[in-house]
Amino acid sequence: MNEMFLKLVSIVCIFCICVGGGSASNEDTSILPEGYVDATQRSTHTNNWAVLVDASRFWFNYRHVANVLSIYRSVKRLGIPDSQIILMIADDMACNARNPRPGQVYNNANQHINVYGDDVEVDYRGYEVTVENFVRLLTGRTQNGTARSKKLLSDAGSNVLIYLTGHGGDGFLKFQDSEEITSQELADGIQQMWEKKRYNELFFMVDTCQAASLYEKFSSPNVLAVASSLVGQDSLSHHVDPSIGVYMIDRYTYYALEFLEKVQPFSTRTIGEFLQVCPKRVCISTVGVRKDLYRRDPHKVPITDFFGAIRPTRVSTDRINVTLANESDFIANPEDIAVAKRQFAIVMEPQFPSEFFK
Amino acid sequence: MGLLSDPSISTQNKLVDNLAKHVRKVCCGLYILGVVWLGCLALPEFNHGTYLSENALSPGLVYPEIRLDANRLAIQLLEELQRERKEHKSTTPHAWIAAKLNEFGLETHTHNYTLRYPFGGGKEYHGKNIYGILRAPRIASTEGIVFTAPYRAPSSVHPDISPSVPLLLAFADFARRKNYWAKDLIFLITEQEQLGMQAWLEAYHDGDRVLNVSKAYLLPGNLPARAGSLQAALNIEVQDLEIDYVDVKIEGLNGKLPNLDMFNLVQRIMAREGITSGYKQTARKKRRSNPSLFEKNLRQMLAMLATQSSGVPNGNHGLFHRYRIDALTIAAAKRQTHATLKGNAGSAAVPLLKAIEGIARSLNNLLERFHQSFFFYVIVNNDRYISIGDYMPALVALVACAFFKAYLTWSTLDSEVQQAAAAAVKPAETQTGSASGSGSGVETETDIDTELEDGLPYGSVLVYLTAVLLIGYLGNVLPLQQYFLEIPMGAAPLTTSVLSFLTLIGFILPFVVVLPAGGLELLHVGFLLIFGCSLIIIGLLNFALGFFVAVITVPVVIALDTSEQNCSGSMRNLTRFITLLLNPMVVVYVIVLAMSFYQYPELKLDKLLLRAATAAMDASAYGLIDNVIYGNWLYFVVSTVFLPLWILCWTLSLSKRRDIADYSDYEEPQPRKPQPEPQAKFKTN
Repeated sequence: MNEMFLKLVSIVCIFCICVGGGSASNEDTSILPEGYVDATQRSTHTNNWAVLVDASRFWFNYRHVANVLSIYRSVKRLGIPDSQIILMIADDMACNARNPRPGQVYNNANQHINVYGDDVEVDYRGYEVTVENFVRLLTGRTQNGTARSKKLLSDAGSNVLIYLTGHGGDGFLKFQDSEEITSQELADGIQQMWEKKRYNELFFMVDTCQAASLYEKFSSPNVLAVASSLVGQDSLSHHVDPSIGVYMIDRYTYYALEFLEKVQPFSTRTIGEFLQVCPKRVCISTVGVRKDLYRRDPHKVPITDFFGAIRPTRVSTDRINVTLANESDFIANPEDIAVAKRQFAIVMEPQFPSEFFK
Repeated sequence: MGLLSDPSISTQNKLVDNLAKHVRKVCCGLYILGVVWLGCLALPEFNHGTYLSENALSPGLVYPEIRLDANRLAIQLLEELQRERKEHKSTTPHAWIAAKLNEFGLETHTHNYTLRYPFGGGKEYHGKNIYGILRAPRIASTEGIVFTAPYRAPSSVHPDISPSVPLLLAFADFARRKNYWAKDLIFLITEQEQLGMQAWLEAYHDGDRVLNVSKAYLLPGNLPARAGSLQAALNIEVQDLEIDYVDVKIEGLNGKLPNLDMFNLVQRIMAREGITSGYKQTARKKRRSNPSLFEKNLRQMLAMLATQSSGVPNGNHGLFHRYRIDALTIAAAKRQTHATLKGNAGSAAVPLLKAIEGIARSLNNLLERFHQSFFFYVIVNNDRYISIGDYMPALVALVACAFFKAYLTWSTLDSEVQQAAAAAVKPAETQTGSASGSGSGVETETDIDTELEDGLPYGSVLVYLTAVLLIGYLGNVLPLQQYFLEIPMGAAPLTTSVLSFLTLIGFILPFVVVLPAGGLELLHVGFLLIFGCSLIIIGLLNFALGFFVAVITVPVVIALDTSEQNCSGSMRNLTRFITLLLNPMVVVYVIVLAMSFYQYPELKLDKLLLRAATAAMDASAYGLIDNVIYGNWLYFVVSTVFLPLWILCWTLSLSKRRDIADYSDYEEPQPRKPQPEPQAKFKTN
């Protein structure tokens, strides 16, 4: 009995010390300005989404499909589930009659990885990839009856990755062979996303010619953008597979992938490093970055904040008082409901102004 | 009031009057400008480097996969074919070709056609083409590419190109094993040169159309199988498996050309395979003379225009252009030298096979017909071209002479007519001054006045124009009339005699029919307008023809002057003489004579003249046959456009006016009434 008492006292003492120490440290950080800085630098997202778009069709644009499928493969490997990846592919390269390897798409002439493997879920394919569908997807204004897999169901806690590839010009990106999305339309779409609390942070990545023109009009907060080339520059392809006879992948995406391939789910690599993957020496075009809308330091943001689905978890040693609600809290008293029901009489307005003639 | 019918603009403009005095100088300036412009285009500053504008072609991105075994197959097939050729001296070994195509697993069909030769009582020829279709393995048969090889029997007068067939078959065998074809490939072996090709194309596109059998000359029949819309075609004419160089032929029917992208594609792929290839490529000569770049370019340019101007395709590819299928011929010449070859005979054809494979794969990548690059161009060098926008101004400058002169003639027409009338009246006054009688004088006066007030004799000029055009039209229609065809006479004498007869009528016409006063001037304006319009139209359809005709005829057109006073007699006689020389028949003869002289320099003059005469007769007959069978409109243009224009030109250069006596015979002396102000002004000149 005595021993038991002693044990209890000691546990209580330890607990008190712990709690006291804990409270002391909390006070410290709340005072220091770095604490605020840390808080802002800490990731605040709860889930991850990716929108990956290949906007161009035709066999000679094989590389764009390879680009987008490679990024798809990376984000999937780093943990974003298919249900949270929206993959838009404007043309079917795997089953193109000109493809000597039917059903397969490679991103390298060595043909190590078939990026069109067994488990690719394409959400928008072929002629479904339109500017309208893309904008509807971003802003959540999908038409009634749209399948759940074709919706971007993000919320205020979502980190969204948007990757675009295709043929672009100054201020637009060509979709299919018939229409374009302008940089203004993109900026408006993202602003609407922000207003509708559809993202927490947004990473916008685009690999086209004159890609930097696409993020110029952005004005929404928490957007970090990177583009493969500045305005007036062309983005170039990396190499040809002479057995298929097409360009395999674009330079920027190639070097981005080279970086991503080394990233593991618990990697400490940061977005800051990722922004420097393709120096002008190898890319030939200059990679453009826009950081002014983004309040965190990219060098302190882990890459998995956008390319993975690693949720921030806090291990708590505190006791957390969770009071379970009783059943009666939920079930209302039928009598109360009856009381709440107002008595009312239906008054019909006369159709004709008959009182004037009385 | 309309701009053109406003008299205050047309007759009283000082600028026009001043220009009218210098019309010849201005026209000569324009003429020189046009010719110099075309010459300048040969300068590197005025033409452009070729480039590929169709992204989809992506030429040379694939490694060729065709290997030595294809070459071995080609050699083996060539040996077999040579054995067959011993048995088929003047026919095609259809059975052997069909058996080979079948053996390679292609869908093989035979196409029969009949030619009903209309001349000399009529004959029938039968022909047979063999083709095999390789269906695209993973896509619907909506589009196709054609690879053709003409077969020539050993008895043919043309160079032997029988190795094209084994080469085509070897490529077909290779292509059969590949799964990446997005278009059907048709391997076609034709006979009887362009006739077989034409029949096959007609059968492919209009085979199901019901023909009026009694009127049609070529009965193409129908095809048992097709392969969708044809996107491109490659004609292969190989003299030997060991080749020296490749000549890329592009000129098609009526001077049409394949898209420049296709030419560039072939050039690029040939260069990659290390084959000497080019437009009008010839064997490399010793570097004796090194002409300047400008001279070389100019020669190349003029050579291309000369080939185009006749409108006769220089290969089987040319017939595809009519159906908007881009096609060209790669004609490989036999290797002449045998010393120090890098390859042996066992692999000699590999580069060419690789090139064909590369071209096929690029064409396979096409997403739609060729449309990006130029259809109208002149090649000045293998990698330089002139676009239509650059060469058309040369023709426009030449033709502008005609329009410019027409406008000035029109705007000074009234005054000239007055002058002519005055000139007619004045002698009448003097002549009849001694004679008495005044009763009919009033009548005469009013006669001339009404003629002038009514304006110009539009009616008679229109009738004259119609008659002249009718003569030309008859030249197009007459030789094909049934009663002419039944005459037991060859095509050449028949056509020539009909054309000569019509030319003779045209020659005599201005002596017989004399237009009333003012008619000549009006005819002059009409002639200039018709001349200008027809040359511009011909130039748009076939620039080379339009340009060459303009170059030789515009000086005469500038020199033509119908007015009597400001033209010396010798000048007029010179114009008449040149006009006679420019008769279409004479021009054809001179061209044929020049070509015969170039070809047989050893012949004596009298024999040469005779030979040229028969050749010119043949040429006119071939022109007519090309017209009715292939749709070459050179004959039509010559007989229906150039012949009437020549008759008009002849009429104008003669300037036969109604004799003064025609007026004076019954005219009475009468003091002339004072003319209205503007006309009086010109009368004093």
